[in-house]
Formats: sequence, C-alpha cells, structure tokens
Amino acid sequence: MDKISVENLTFSYDKEKNAVEDVSFSIAEGSYTTIVGHNGSGKSTIAKLLIGLLDKDQGHIYIDNQELDYDSVYDIRDKVGIVFQNPDNQFIGATVADDIAFGLENHQIKSEKMQSIIEKFANKVGMIKYLDSEPTKLSGGQKQRVAIAGVLAMTPEIIIFDESTSMLDPQGKADINELIQEIHKESNITIISITHDIEEVSKSDYVIVMDRGHVVMRGKPDEILLKEKELVKLQLDIPFALKFTNALKKENIDIKSCTTLERVVEEVCQLRLKM
Amino acid sequence: MPITFKNVEHTYNNGTPFEYVALKNISLQIPEGKVTAIIGETGSGKTTLVQHLNALLLPTQGELEILDKKIIATEKPTDLKALRKQVGLVFQFPEYQLFEETIAKDIAFGPKNFGASEEEALTIVKEIMPVVGLDESYMEKSPFDLSGGQKRRVAIAGILAMNPNVLVLDEPTAGLDPQGAKDMMDLFVRTNKEFHKTVLIVTHDMEHVLNYCDEVIVVKNGEIKKQCQVQEFFESLELLEELRINPPAIIRLREELIKVGFHIDSSILSIDELAKTVAKEVKHHE
Amino acid sequence: MNNIALGKYLPLNSVIHKMDPRAKICAMLIMMIAIFIPAGYTGYMIMGVVIIAVAQLAKLKMNFLWRAMKPMLFMLSFLLIINLIVVRTGNVLITIGGWSIYSDAISQTLYIVVRLALMIMITTILTATTKPLELTLGIEDLLKPFKVIHVPAHEIAMMISIALRFIPTLIEETQRIMKAQASRGVDMENGKLMDKMKAILSLIVPLFVSAFQRAEELAYAMEARGYIPNRHRTRYKQLKMKGMDYVLLIGCFCILGIIILLSVGNFGLI
Repeated sequence: MDKISVENLTFSYDKEKNAVEDVSFSIAEGSYTTIVGHNGSGKSTIAKLLIGLLDKDQGHIYIDNQELDYDSVYDIRDKVGIVFQNPDNQFIGATVADDIAFGLENHQIKSEKMQSIIEKFANKVGMIKYLDSEPTKLSGGQKQRVAIAGVLAMTPEIIIFDESTSMLDPQGKADINELIQEIHKESNITIISITHDIEEVSKSDYVIVMDRGHVVMRGKPDEILLKEKELVKLQLDIPFALKFTNALKKENIDIKSCTTLERVVEEVCQLRLKM
Repeated sequence: MPITFKNVEHTYNNGTPFEYVALKNISLQIPEGKVTAIIGETGSGKTTLVQHLNALLLPTQGELEILDKKIIATEKPTDLKALRKQVGLVFQFPEYQLFEETIAKDIAFGPKNFGASEEEALTIVKEIMPVVGLDESYMEKSPFDLSGGQKRRVAIAGILAMNPNVLVLDEPTAGLDPQGAKDMMDLFVRTNKEFHKTVLIVTHDMEHVLNYCDEVIVVKNGEIKKQCQVQEFFESLELLEELRINPPAIIRLREELIKVGFHIDSSILSIDELAKTVAKEVKHHE
Repeated sequence: MNNIALGKYLPLNSVIHKMDPRAKICAMLIMMIAIFIPAGYTGYMIMGVVIIAVAQLAKLKMNFLWRAMKPMLFMLSFLLIINLIVVRTGNVLITIGGWSIYSDAISQTLYIVVRLALMIMITTILTATTKPLELTLGIEDLLKPFKVIHVPAHEIAMMISIALRFIPTLIEETQRIMKAQASRGVDMENGKLMDKMKAILSLIVPLFVSAFQRAEELAYAMEARGYIPNRHRTRYKQLKMKGMDYVLLIGCFCILGIIILLSVGNFGLI
C-alpha cells in the first residue's frame, strides 16, 4: 500500500523559478526511501512540502490517501515527523528532557504522563543519562539523537531525515545511521532519508534521484546505482564497488557490476572458484 | 622557514573554574609546500591547534615559529597583522563571514585591510575569481544571492586574495554535496601545486586524506598522536583501529579480500593496482 | 565573562535552590516594596540581617554577593560626588580648601547605597538559586491571571526561554566571526574611525544573517513538531508550592509588616 503519494507537485519560492516542478512519486508503507541529488536540486523543498511547512503551488500530496491541504495539515503533521540538518537550530528545550517534551506539550499530553514517555524515548536513542543536560554540553550527534527521540515520542508513522547527518563527524554519522536502521527494522515507520551518502542509499529499499526540481530517476538502489553515466551527469557519487568492478573489467575480468563491497567480495570469490 | 611548535600548551579560561587544557605540550614541524591533513575526533584540539597558526590564539606555554615570526608564550607578540597576511585561515562554514554588498568588494576586503589600494585590490579580485571558478559576471552581484557552495567559494577567494604563503582550512567541505566537496579539494591541491602554497586541511574525510594529501597529523586529547606520510598512515591498520577511524573504501575492500584468501600487499592504496592484483590472482586459477 | 556574578545561576544544593520559583519571585517583589518604604536604618538593619541569613541558607559566599555589587561601585561613587556638590544642608563636617562637606550629603548617599545594596543582594540570591528556565516558568505562571487583560503569558515565557537557549550559541558565533574577520586583517581595537565602522559592520552583518537563518530553521522545527501559537499546550515542568515556600512568603509579609510599622512609627515621631 502506498503510504505517500505525490502527483504533479510544483512549488516555487520566488514565483520565477520552480524549486520543485511536476514531481510525482509514491512511497510504500514501512519502506526506507532515500532521496539523492546535488545541493539545490529540490530535495529539502520536497521534505518541507510533505510536512506542510511549505504550501504547494500545484499538484497533490496524499498521505494515507488523505490529501494534504489547509484543513488536514495539522492531522497529517501528527503522523509525519522530521529531523533537520542543523543540530543546533532544532533544539528548542533548555535541556534534553524539555526538548523531548516540546512536541508532547504541543499535543497536549498530560504532564503526569510525560516523564515516562520522555524516559522511554531518551532510553531508545541512548540519551537517558543526559536528561538534564543543556544543549551546549552535547555533541552534534547527541543533539540529533535527542531530535530523533523528540520525533519518536510523538509516535509518527513517517519520519523524514533531511540530511540529518551531514553536519556530524564520522562517529556521529555512524551512530545516527545505525539508529535509523534500527528504527526501520523494529517498527513499521516509513522512512524517507535525504542524503548524499551512497552507502546509505545502497542499504535503502527505494531511491528517488532529483535534479533541478525534477525527479529524474527512481527505483531500487541496485538498478539506480549502476547507471554510471547518468550519475556522473547528475554530479552524484558513484559507488566505490562499481568503480572497482569497472577497473576489473579493464583488466579483462568478466565480472558483474556491483554496488556494495559485500557483493564485490562475493562475485570475486565466485570468479576465483569458476576459473 | 617551516612552521615549528615547541612544547606548546593552550589553556582556555586560564585561572578560572572553567579552566580547560586544549593542547598539551605540542612539539611539531609542519613541512612547507605540502598538503597536510590534520585529523582527530571532535574536541581533540584540531581547531585550537590551527588557530595558533595565524596567532588568533596565543600559546599559554611554549613557543612557535611560523615562517619568520616567533611567538613565545611569555612575551607579548607584536605585529600579528603581518603574520595574518602570510597565513590565511579559512574557518568552518566560511560563507557566514561574507558581509559586503558585492562579491568583488567582499573578496577585496582582506587585501585592502592589508594595505592594497583600490586598483590593486580590483586587479587581485579579477585574478582570483577564475581560480575559484567564478567568472567576472559575478563581480557586482550580492554574495547573499548565491548558493551555499558558491558563497563558500567567494569566502575562500577572499582569503586567497590576501596571497598568503600558508593556507589553513578548517573542515572546508562540511555540508557540501560530493561534487562540491571534490571541486573544493581540487582547488586546494591546485593552490598547492600551481601557486606553491603550503596547505593545511582539518578534515574528517579519510577519502580526502588518502586522495589529496601528502602528510597526516593526528591530534588526540590535545596531543600529537602521530605525524607521518599518508601512505604510511594508511598502512598501519592497528593505528586506524585504535583511533576508531573508518578506513577509506579501498582499504576496507582490500582487507575483506585478504580475509577471503587473496594475497594482496598492504601497501596497495589505489583502485587500479588493487584491480590488477585481484585480476592476476583470479586468472592464475585458470 | 566568567567573573560576572550579577544574574548568574550557581548550581548548588540548598533549601533555597529547591524552592518554587514563584514563591521566590513573589518574595523578591515583597522585599522590594519593603525597601522602598522609608523606615529608617532600623528597618534596613533587619532586612540586611534577614537577607544575609537567606544567602547563608542558599550556601552563597559573601564574596559572591560582593562581586555582584562591584559593578555598581562606579555608579555609587559618581552619586557621592554629585551629592557632595549639590547637597548643602545639615551640619558642616569638614572644610577643605574653602569647600564644605555637609552631613546630609553623606547620609543621603549612604541611604541610597544601603537600599541599592539590599536590592542587588535580593536579586542576586534569586538568580543565583533559580535556573533561568525555572524563572521563566515562574514568570509564566505568575502572569497567567493577567490573561484576562490579554497578557500573552505563555508566549512571553516561550520567547524568554528561546532567547535564553540561544544566548550561548550566539556568543559562540560572535567569537567565531570575530576570529574569522581578524584572519582577514580586521582590527577591532585600533585604526581610524572609518576602519572601525567597517570592522563592526563585518561582525554585525554576518551575525544578523546567521541569526535570521537560525530563527527560520527554528520556526520550521517548532512548527513541524506541532507548535501552533495561541493554542493551548500542556506543560512538562509543573511547579508545586511546598511548606518551605509558604514559610518564605509568610516571613516576607512579616518583614513587610514590621517595616510598615516602623515607618508609621517614624512619621509618628515627626
């Protein structure tokens, strides 16, 4: 079943140039979708449109078959959570606990009930020891984990990660990616991740490639990531595995093109056995 | 005239309850004319270290020699401006330091502060803009109308325009898309090869270290953990593991292949060489 | 920066720290009223002793209170000089080089000094024992009754807490931009007036640009997490008045009463 369906979506910030133009795609329930494209290709605009932070100019967005419009935007926002790029600019509360509570307060959860919810999700993201910590005392990765806890606490059905790891150091990146994978495995939450990380793309169920406001490719990562020429033209990274299988081909080895290192190792081993 | 640190220590908020030793007893020599990567975890002291290079921070103990300038902890330094002209420091997210109405004016800001006349500054601007990939049509545009990546180019052009001998960059590719990051790294290597600048890059990206840098300095807990050639650095897998560094993809693949029984020399760090070795071994089985 | 004591929170563990911020804010207001009642030095003595006792209970060092008052010294000495020149009543205390110093000049200055010192001590105790966030919550609750006359209590509290949250971030940012511009040859201290203007501009413009961007992103983040201005929200941190809080308030009212009596007594004497 389609959780999200977008039809002919168009949006412009300045009424001169469309940031998103005639975009259509659908996303299956419980899937893990990545959206890639170089900076300025309209990825983040899509994210903001999906949660109703920006108002579309044309087209339709359906979430659970309910159209996103002026009347339904608050209902839909209850179902969709988003984690942004800058860890500092989405930390609203004075402490970790207050920040997780922010969404709960907005949803008028009774204050007696909040403590246990806050603890549950702080624990989930590994921040239970830091409940009383102020944001200045936390690393970028820790702040992003708090942001994720804040989103999870509202029991969303969809979570959008808008380049949530791009400002983090490698450790922070790895931690957050692991957490996203865990959420994907343990729950039926539909995940949309806007990313530049080819490794993350190769692990996702579905990829949407954007360029200058248009969706230019979509499909399974295995198919998309092998389209070398297109990827180069779109200024995107080519998986290292593919670069390597290409190099092997140059050495007159007949090997299947691969998108992940694991696949490369498997293929190479089989070749060795065959020959 | 290389850059030398001798027993340098830096303590923030010295003498207050918030005292914090960021650099401990650092002794090091940075070679001239090379591209050196400075790596280490967040909070290890990398940024503190590089801010000593143009005397934004002064050592609380020890001394350092930067080109022909000597800075000693116990003495009040003079004429830091001359040093700041010679060592160009590009901060993290430098696009946030733009402020002029036009791109040309913003790039000219540095040179003019260091005494260039209006005409001299204009000549420099015209020279520098193509280096960072901006043509003359951008001169009179507002820097605030540019995209993030372009803004960063303008900011870097502003530093290059000072014609420093040493270019120091604090995480210059953070937040850029892969192509933007690649262009940026190419630019730094070019300033090194073509204009013979000493380049220092603080980075977390091991692919960049492997593909663009000559030397590595590893900072850990305010100390220099290791300084060596890039080749040597990536050959010591134990060190990488100890530093909790995820190695570049080429090394990960190489190690996986070794695990399944391939005989690959651990000095191999290029994709073509690895492919040749693997190809040879696969064909050998025929 | 770190030496400023006025307005700074000290994370200690004391009875006063644990009190309800509303009780503490009310206590401060009552004491302020008491200070402004002209009750003579007996009254100020009583208040002084009580305030120092409370400071002890809060585990604050006298040195800390003294540091909080220090910035006022300049203002007070200025006041003293003015008074010495202007006030020409009372007895002549001393005559130096034909200039007489009158007793009223000294006593009037002393009067102001004492009142100011008491006020600074009270506010310092409040801010040193109450987290900024708790203060905000206290203010929000105390402003609630004024909703009838359309005082947006919650919105005011939200603004204060966001401002408090972003002060450290903006300070850090300011330092970063200053350093970045110094790397481009900006000298904030020396130079001609025009250069200085330019230097300040090179700090202010980027700071505003980034503050606005932060504000925009923060607004998106708040909205995405279901914040709708003017809509009712529940609150995670609830304040609860305990025995000690009532004791504090009753104590303050008692002091106010004593001061009023003293003041009436004084006037009675005249």
